[in-house]
Amino acid sequence: MRLAPWLAAAALCALAGCAAQMVKVEPGQVTVKEALSLNTAHAWNRFELGQQYLSVAPGAAEVWTQDGITLDALAFFVGVAQGETLGRAIAGKKLPAFRSTMTPGEIVELYEQMVTQDGSAFALKRVAPGRFGEQPGFRFEHTITRKSDSVLLKGVGQGAVVKGKLYLVVFTAPSIYYYDRHLPQVEPLIASARIRAP
Amino acid sequence: MQRRPFLLGCGCLALAAATGVRADEYDYQAPPRFSRPDPSSDEGGLWAYMDRQEQQLKRSSFLIRDPALNKYVSDIACRLAGEHCPEMRVYLVRTPYFNASMAPNGMMQVWSGLLVRMQNEAQLSAVLGHEIGHYLQRHSVEGLRDAKSRSSFAQILGIALGVAGGGNLGMLAQAGILASGMAYGRDQEREADRIGIALMARSGYAPAEAGRVWGQLLEESDGAKAAGEDVSTPIILFASHPPQEERREVLAAAAKRDWPGATRTGTDEYRAALAPHRMGFLYDEVRRRRFGESLVLFDRLLQASPRDGQVQYFKGEAYRQRGREGDTKLALEAYRAALEMDNTPPEVHRSLGTVLRQTGEDAEATRAFQRYLELKPDAEDAELIRSYLTGSQS
Repeated sequence: MRLAPWLAAAALCALAGCAAQMVKVEPGQVTVKEALSLNTAHAWNRFELGQQYLSVAPGAAEVWTQDGITLDALAFFVGVAQGETLGRAIAGKKLPAFRSTMTPGEIVELYEQMVTQDGSAFALKRVAPGRFGEQPGFRFEHTITRKSDSVLLKGVGQGAVVKGKLYLVVFTAPSIYYYDRHLPQVEPLIASARIRAP
Repeated sequence: MQRRPFLLGCGCLALAAATGVRADEYDYQAPPRFSRPDPSSDEGGLWAYMDRQEQQLKRSSFLIRDPALNKYVSDIACRLAGEHCPEMRVYLVRTPYFNASMAPNGMMQVWSGLLVRMQNEAQLSAVLGHEIGHYLQRHSVEGLRDAKSRSSFAQILGIALGVAGGGNLGMLAQAGILASGMAYGRDQEREADRIGIALMARSGYAPAEAGRVWGQLLEESDGAKAAGEDVSTPIILFASHPPQEERREVLAAAAKRDWPGATRTGTDEYRAALAPHRMGFLYDEVRRRRFGESLVLFDRLLQASPRDGQVQYFKGEAYRQRGREGDTKLALEAYRAALEMDNTPPEVHRSLGTVLRQTGEDAEATRAFQRYLELKPDAEDAELIRSYLTGSQS
C-alpha cells in the first residue's frame, strides 16, 4: 500500500488539529537551517512542523518524508550547541542537555531520551564509529516500538560533533516494508552531508 | 439494573463471634459471581468498550508475555479474588508508572512501575486487593451513572480515540486510567482500601504491608520535592485517591486489628519471580528522568538487599544521567560500590569508563572499557568502545 503523502499528512493534521503542511523538496542541492547541505537524487516532502508535537522527532530542525511521517521520517538535527537539548521535551517531561564532550554512546542516549518521552520503547542494535559526510562521526542502528500503535520501527542515525556542535540525521520507518524501501535513498543522502560554517 | 447490596459484615458475624474477633468494617463478604450484563444496558456498553480495549491490549508490544511471571501475579490475584477468580484476566504491561487497574469486564492491568516498587508479595497483594475491591463493588459502573463521571468518561474516550501521535502514555494507558482512578470517588477508594486489606489478610498476607505501600510512595514524592523536581505529574496515577498520608495512617491502623494467621510477606518469592525482568524495569525507571523518586526507590531496595549490584548500578546511572553539579562524583562512588556487590551488570564498566574519560582519568577509563569488552565482547556498542581504546574515534 502506498498512501499519498498529502493524505497521510492531512489525516495527521486532522487528528492533531495542526496547521502543518508539506513542501516539496526538489532533487539536487538542499540546505537545512543554513548549516547543513545535502544532495538528494530524489524528491522528498518536507513536513512543516510548526510547534506541534511529532513523536518520532519532536523539535527537529526539519523532517522529510516520502510516504508520510508515520510511515517514514528523515529527521535533521542541525548545530545543537552545548547546553541545548536534542529535540524538544513534551509536556511534563525533561530532556537532558547536550555537552560537546559527549561520547557517541551518550549522544545515542540523548536520542533515546527524546524518542521515548511518550512511552515508546527503544532498543539499540549497533553503534560504531562512522562518517558523517566528510567528517569522522558515528552511526547507530536501533528499533523503536511506537507507544501509540505498537508499530515496530527500524532506524539508522548518523552524526558528528563538529566545532562543539552536534549534527545528526536519523531515518525511522516501520520495520515491515517501509524501512527497506527507503533506506537505499537515505544512505547516499546522508553520505552527501556537508557542514557549512554557520 | 439493580445494584447488588453491599453485604458488609453480615455473613461474617457468626465467624467473628466464634473466633472472638470483633465484627467491624473489615468483615467483608464478596457479592455472588457476576454474569455478563445485558448488552443494551449502560453497564453492557461499558463492558463492550472494555472488551475492545482488552483485544487491543492483547496485541500490544508492551505486554509482558513471560508465562512464569504472568502465572505468579495471576495466582496472587486469584487467591485474593476467591470465587470471583474465573472472571479475571491479568495483564502485565511494561510501563514505568505505579498503576494497577481492573475494568468491570474482569480485565486487570498491572504495570511494571508498580512491580518494581513493591518489596514483597504482600505489598503487591495490597494493591491488587484494592483494585479487586473496586471490581467486586462495581464502582466503575456506579461512576458511569454519576453525571460528573460521565462527562470525564466522554472526555477520556475522546482523548483515547483522538490522539493519533500518542499522548503522554498512549491509548492503553488511557483505558487503564479510565478503568481505575479517574472514575472513582474518594469514598469508593476508602471502601476499596478496606476490602483490599480484608482480602489480603484472608489470603494470609501481613496487612501491615498495605500501609507501607503508601508510605513508600510518600517517601518517593518527598524525594522528588527535596530534589527540586516537578511533582505536578506524580508517579502514581490514582488521581482521585484519598491523600496518601490518610491512606498510610488508616491502613496502618487497620493492620493493628487482630488478623489471625495473616503473617506472610513473600519477600524471597517476590524477588525470585521478578528477577528475570528486573534489569529492564530498573532501566525504564531511570529513563523516566524522575531522579528524586528513583533514588529514593533505589535506596529503599538497597536497604532491603544491601548487596544488590543491579540496583546499585542504576543508582549510578541516575546520578550520571541527572548530571547536576556533584553528580559525577556520586555516580563514580555508586559504580565503584557496585563493583563490590553481587549480580552487578557488565554495563557498570562501560558507565564507569564513560565518566572517568570525562574526568580525565584515562588510564582507569581504559581499564574499565577493557573489562566491559571482556565481559560483553559482542555488545551492541563493542565497536565503538574498541574505537575509544584505540583512539581511532575522537
